[in-house]
Amino acid sequence: MRKQFAQTMLEVGEDPRLVVLLGDLSHFLLRDFEAAHKDRFYNLGIAEQSMMSIAAGLAMNGLFPVVHSIAPFITERCFEQIKDDLCYQKLGVNIVSIGSAFDYAALGCTHHCYDDIAILRALPGMQIVYPAAPHEFDTLFKETYANGMPTYFRLPEHVHEIPTHPRFGEVEMLHKGGDVTVAVSGPQLQNAFEAVKEIENTYSCDLIYCTTIKPLSEKARQTLRESVKKTGRLVTVEEHSVIGGIGDEIARVCDNIRFVHERMGIHDRFLTNYGTYAEHCRDNDLTKEGVIHSVHEICTRNI
Amino acid sequence: MLDECAKIRIDVLRMVFASREGHLPSAFSIVETLYAVYANKHEHDVFFLSKGHAGAALFATLAHFGILEKQELLSYCAYDSRLGGHPHRTVPGVMNSSGSLWHGFPVAAGYAFSRKIKHEPGEVFCLIGDGESNEGTIWETAMYAEQLHLSNFVCIIDKNNSQVRAMTSIHLPAKFESFGWEVREVDGHSVEELKRVLFEPHEKPLCVIANTKKGKGVRELEENFMAWHHKAPGADEYEKFRAEILSQSDSNAL
Repeated sequence: MRKQFAQTMLEVGEDPRLVVLLGDLSHFLLRDFEAAHKDRFYNLGIAEQSMMSIAAGLAMNGLFPVVHSIAPFITERCFEQIKDDLCYQKLGVNIVSIGSAFDYAALGCTHHCYDDIAILRALPGMQIVYPAAPHEFDTLFKETYANGMPTYFRLPEHVHEIPTHPRFGEVEMLHKGGDVTVAVSGPQLQNAFEAVKEIENTYSCDLIYCTTIKPLSEKARQTLRESVKKTGRLVTVEEHSVIGGIGDEIARVCDNIRFVHERMGIHDRFLTNYGTYAEHCRDNDLTKEGVIHSVHEICTRNI
Repeated sequence: MLDECAKIRIDVLRMVFASREGHLPSAFSIVETLYAVYANKHEHDVFFLSKGHAGAALFATLAHFGILEKQELLSYCAYDSRLGGHPHRTVPGVMNSSGSLWHGFPVAAGYAFSRKIKHEPGEVFCLIGDGESNEGTIWETAMYAEQLHLSNFVCIIDKNNSQVRAMTSIHLPAKFESFGWEVREVDGHSVEELKRVLFEPHEKPLCVIANTKKGKGVRELEENFMAWHHKAPGADEYEKFRAEILSQSDSNAL
């Protein structure tokens, strides 16, 4: 994913309006961009809030800035900058994070970030994109970086290997069924996809993959609504708090439909366990078995 | 003869009186600075107001220089007006949306930076408050301005000492000098002095410390600026303040 970030920056860097600002990381990763576009590559050190406002000033004069740092420092710490300087002033700054959710598992909760989608979703005009495979970032970045709106790209450390065809604002139906709607974002697509395949003779699932969290096109909303209306059962899977994440966004889209909802994600707690990414997935039931269990649970629930 | 800054103060006073909104003493301390910038700025120069609570003075100045219609000033803070208690960049002549202190300064620095990247001419002026300089982004940006070689960037500090009640912003010249800026200190109510220091060439980013009085022009506001920080005058006070501004203007024309 990081390599794709570097590659995409190098390619899009042919556009003289693209400027990359780093919060003192990925400097080595982006060395080819630096070599090619030295006057549009700046490591602004560890001052994320001012860096975000500086980027707003660049966008104000027609440039397309990319601000890059670790998720908690570039979203939670910069929330007011994103609100006042990007969204309120309608300035098209591109925020690219790494280290969201519990990617930095062992480093503890200061370096975790499972509320970034929740807080940014609430801001008018904010675009939120969550690619979880290299080609997805490449496509979605090229589609949106110059559209004049502030955009958050959440780049996970781990990727899925399912063939996908992302389009900004759209969702992708990767499996058709009638019993349950499984909606997923991020690398958990791998588990959700394998789970849906494994149980297809028992429970048939619509599997809907979301690389755009906000805004969803009318067509994407329609796809979600029709599926949830048909199944009456929704399982959402995300490496994010169940408060305010994609589960909430999809529930909002479907708020005039009767359905039951099983939210898979992080349940209102700090993950104080250190360890590895895989261990946190297991601890939060973000596994193939976890998805199968949730589908079974929601299908056998009395409603 | 009524001097130009008195005209602006009269407009600000009327806006605040009519709307029952705004920050009169903060607006009055920056009138000469705004006038000096707008009367002398060159074609490509731009101005950012970071201490947005003084926005009434910015609107009145923009109207004075014909960028806004004078008539529009009467809509200040009204529902659906373009002119709010803190300026929004949808207003002609307003570069940035402000209100929350500490944002305008780095945004203005970013704009100055964009001009370096694009090789565009012109100075970027940004007015902050001395109280605002308590904020961390002021100093992060001061650091950036040196290292990004923003020789097209001018920070004007409205040093009206409003922070006597809290964390006083002390040693500002030494602080900015140590951050690699050129520092000039002036009487912030002298248009001539301001004009001279703001528009003389500088190699480094320039910090102009404008020593001002909060509430300048009305003795009651100057003496009790804490009480008047976010308060509108009553009818009697309005007439009294207005008369005082006019009388000073008569005896002390620029």
